[in-house]
Amino acid sequence: MQKTLTITPSRCTSCRTCELACSFKHAGKGGLGIARIRTFMFGEGKNQILTCFQCDEAACVKVCPVEALSRNESTGAIEVNEARCIGCGLCSIACPFGHMNHDGTNGIAVKCDLCGGDEPACAAFCPSRALEYR
Amino acid sequence: MRIKSAKSLESVTKKVRGEREKIETEVLVCAGTGCLANGSLGVTEALDRAIHANGLDVKLSLGLKTTGCHGFCEQGPLVVIQPKGIFYRGVKPKDVDDIVEKTLKNGEIVERLLYRDPNTKKRVEQYVEIPFYSKQQRIALRNIGKIDPSNIDDYFAVGGYAGLAKALTKMTPEEVIDAVTKSGLRGRGGGGFPTGRKWKTCASAPADTRYVLCNADEGDPGAFMDRSICEGDPHAVIEGMVIGAWAVGAHEGYIYVREEYPLAVKHLQRAIEQARERGLLGDDILGSGFSYDIHIARGGGAFVCGESSALMKSVAGEIGEPRAKYVHSVIRGLHDKPTVLNNVETWADVSWIIAEGAEKYAALGTEKSTGTKVFSLVGKVKNTGLVEVPMGITLREIIFGIGGGIIGNRPFKAVQTGGPSGGCLPESKLDLTVDFDSLTEAGSMMGSGGMIVMDDHTCMVDTARYFLKFLVDESCGKCVPCREGVHQLHQMLEAICRGDGRPGDIEKIESLSDVIVEASLCALGKSAPNPVLSTLRYFRAEYETHINEKKCAAGVCRNLFTFRISEEKCTGCGLCLKACPVDCITGEKKQVHTIDEEKCTRCGACRNVCNFDAVEVI
Amino acid sequence: MTTEKTISLEINGRFFQAREGMTILDVAKREGIPIPTLCYHEALESVGNCRLCMVEITHPDWKGWKGLVTSCLYPVEEGLQVTTDNKTIWNTRRTILDLLLARCPDSDVIQKLAAEYGVTVTSYRKNDVETKCILCGLCVRVCAAKGANAISSAGRGIEKMIARPFDQPPPDCIGCASCAHICPTGAIEYEDTPEVRKIWGHSFKMVKCESCGRPIMPEKQLEFEAEKSGLDPAYFKTCSVCSQRKSIDTIRSAFDMKAVGLGEPVEVAR
Repeated sequence: MQKTLTITPSRCTSCRTCELACSFKHAGKGGLGIARIRTFMFGEGKNQILTCFQCDEAACVKVCPVEALSRNESTGAIEVNEARCIGCGLCSIACPFGHMNHDGTNGIAVKCDLCGGDEPACAAFCPSRALEYR
Repeated sequence: MRIKSAKSLESVTKKVRGEREKIETEVLVCAGTGCLANGSLGVTEALDRAIHANGLDVKLSLGLKTTGCHGFCEQGPLVVIQPKGIFYRGVKPKDVDDIVEKTLKNGEIVERLLYRDPNTKKRVEQYVEIPFYSKQQRIALRNIGKIDPSNIDDYFAVGGYAGLAKALTKMTPEEVIDAVTKSGLRGRGGGGFPTGRKWKTCASAPADTRYVLCNADEGDPGAFMDRSICEGDPHAVIEGMVIGAWAVGAHEGYIYVREEYPLAVKHLQRAIEQARERGLLGDDILGSGFSYDIHIARGGGAFVCGESSALMKSVAGEIGEPRAKYVHSVIRGLHDKPTVLNNVETWADVSWIIAEGAEKYAALGTEKSTGTKVFSLVGKVKNTGLVEVPMGITLREIIFGIGGGIIGNRPFKAVQTGGPSGGCLPESKLDLTVDFDSLTEAGSMMGSGGMIVMDDHTCMVDTARYFLKFLVDESCGKCVPCREGVHQLHQMLEAICRGDGRPGDIEKIESLSDVIVEASLCALGKSAPNPVLSTLRYFRAEYETHINEKKCAAGVCRNLFTFRISEEKCTGCGLCLKACPVDCITGEKKQVHTIDEEKCTRCGACRNVCNFDAVEVI
Repeated sequence: MTTEKTISLEINGRFFQAREGMTILDVAKREGIPIPTLCYHEALESVGNCRLCMVEITHPDWKGWKGLVTSCLYPVEEGLQVTTDNKTIWNTRRTILDLLLARCPDSDVIQKLAAEYGVTVTSYRKNDVETKCILCGLCVRVCAAKGANAISSAGRGIEKMIARPFDQPPPDCIGCASCAHICPTGAIEYEDTPEVRKIWGHSFKMVKCESCGRPIMPEKQLEFEAEKSGLDPAYFKTCSVCSQRKSIDTIRSAFDMKAVGLGEPVEVAR
């Protein structure tokens, strides 16, 4: 059975540990801006976490001219083949949820890949179990 | 009318031959590009008029026809009268009345139109006695000059398509490939790859579609053998291709002809249509059930499109650039399908080999280079034109035997073989046998058969510069070593010829050449440094004098010499004075002339006209 | 599962396994063996223009023959022995970069790469024409991959250039600027203003984000992308920042939702 990254907003404290963990895991450094996951505070007790939905009918995959985006069948995540990406930015415009990002230095697409099958760092480090991988 | 079987082809041939036998006298006018340019069309028309006016066509059973190139282009327009084999050269329309009156009516010879041997100074009456022809052995050129290329019946009369009939009815595709393998035929386009092996690989490559193509994109400066074959005997090429298609299982093919060969295109096109009409191309060839058709693809004039992979891209409508051939085109060629590509001469040889037998072909030439090869012999040689000789003949025999030696009996300096990216061989290599391997070993190559003879008035550095300029212009520009490297090589040679050469230039040229040879993508790039490498190998001292002493002993590089008139040799004839375009020569009649070096542009006009070799290079 | 043949080959004395059809460069990249390239891009067809990726190959069956091949094109073979760096290779790459530096003396990318091979000033005659283009052809290939096929190479030899058809603004150009983004030397220029993008002689009107008004892409590209992907043009009318903001707004207004399961269909109103 494929595991799912599950978000339970009521447990989220907006501590932003998930963002830090994500940055360290993917970029090797701490920087909240480069995380592929974001947390938002809407008010007391109203926190939300936002990351890629790994859509079935993903617009990003459809628009990519060079097939740099494809689904990893074992994790279900849509992954970026960084070597293939030409940095045209089309995927980030096409994503209706704003979940695609681009590396500021080379324009290569950046998105959540569910950490390639390991327990996603965001879930592993979430202190309040708002993020779970199960 | 369609010929529906090998048997009915036989009877067609028989019938045509019967008709031909009734002709007692036949006048053959060369209508190859060279002779046409010299006005042979006017000669044909005048002959036609005169023959009809005299009623000769009825009385003498006379035939008049235009043929392909006889090969002896510099003597054109040529008229040959058969069966006596009388050979008239330099014929003008005004000579026609004499030909009709004297030769056709009364069997006399028109003395002034005969060929004069430049060495013996004697007039030669017959075709076969002219050394230029008598020393040749013609296979690829076998029918050229004898048949009317626009008439398929003429081709039948000389046994045309018998090879195809034999292949389709008596041989399996494997047997055809075996025969070609046994003949030892190697590709005549330059690479010299064994044709049989090429076909075998293609035939055994798994595929639903295969192609058989003909490379008629002859681009080497001074080479025109393929053009002559296409113009003069197009059916020999088509027959060869159909045989090849049968052997490898192809049903479609292209002849890639350069746009600059309009007559070849016209003749090929007409021959294809005729062959289709007669059931020798298209569906169910000769009733065998086998189908193959040929289209003509016209090249836009890029030298590189003679390279196989660039050619295939061009045929497919893409930019004519070569690709890396780590997977050969016999496996992945046109439209990524297994493809056999051979050049015009190879295909003309194939039809002969199948008709006459592989053993007969293999018996000619040398062990590893069998058969014959057509060369276009040009440059400072007395008899220029197309010559077909058995492989293994020496350069000396070609240049001094067939070619008659150097114009003005000047000293021989070098012969450039193999086209622009071939190499220059010096006098010490004159006794080298001409075959694929020995030419390569000597630093040149066979190429498609260009042979440019140079005398002592040729500067080898300038020659290398000239060929490099050609290659700079013709490099497709795809890969860096060829595009940038050959350009830089050329720049360095320009500088040396200008007098701006510096010590160390030779070494720099050599090291850059090594990289170009090693790193270029296609054969054009890999062989591009050949002109400079081969001249460096045999004429290094000339480079050194150019660089260190700023001297060009051959009197070609204008900044590096001056002309002076020798006091001992000058007779004061005044020829040079008249020839000088800048009026820098002075001198009274019968007095030694002098050149004003300040005014002299070193054009060499005085040297060219001087009969006493009095204009010296200093 | 996979029925492709596995091939073993040797690179720099170490043995590797590869799938049939891979190139030497594919294997080297996978194994982290450095080979310099200029005209290579994994998403595009390899062409072997720049010759920087040349490596030396030989084989026990080749009777001592060895030679240079472009690793981006040479398919792996059983028993192949590859050397990715030696004196000959180094010298070849150095000469190529020296030649490229003569062509593009002002390109910082070429300067940097050439310096790695000890060339700071070209030893050849410098190009008379100012250019940064090394004719790697990536722009032409990416344009073809996009499906626009607007530009191509024109001419031959040293005068070859990347050009527009008949030197006019290319009718097929959609203004995506992928050519400019992929160019390794920054030779293709374009200019963006809030209203228009100027490239290849065109002046394309920009589509602006429906929410914030930031320019997104040329109108012509939007039409092209919508048709090509089969997506509603609306997908291309919001910038990614505003898309994210909309997501947040949607969530805020429906905050009582339980959890968002990832990997499962999610209904989120646009």
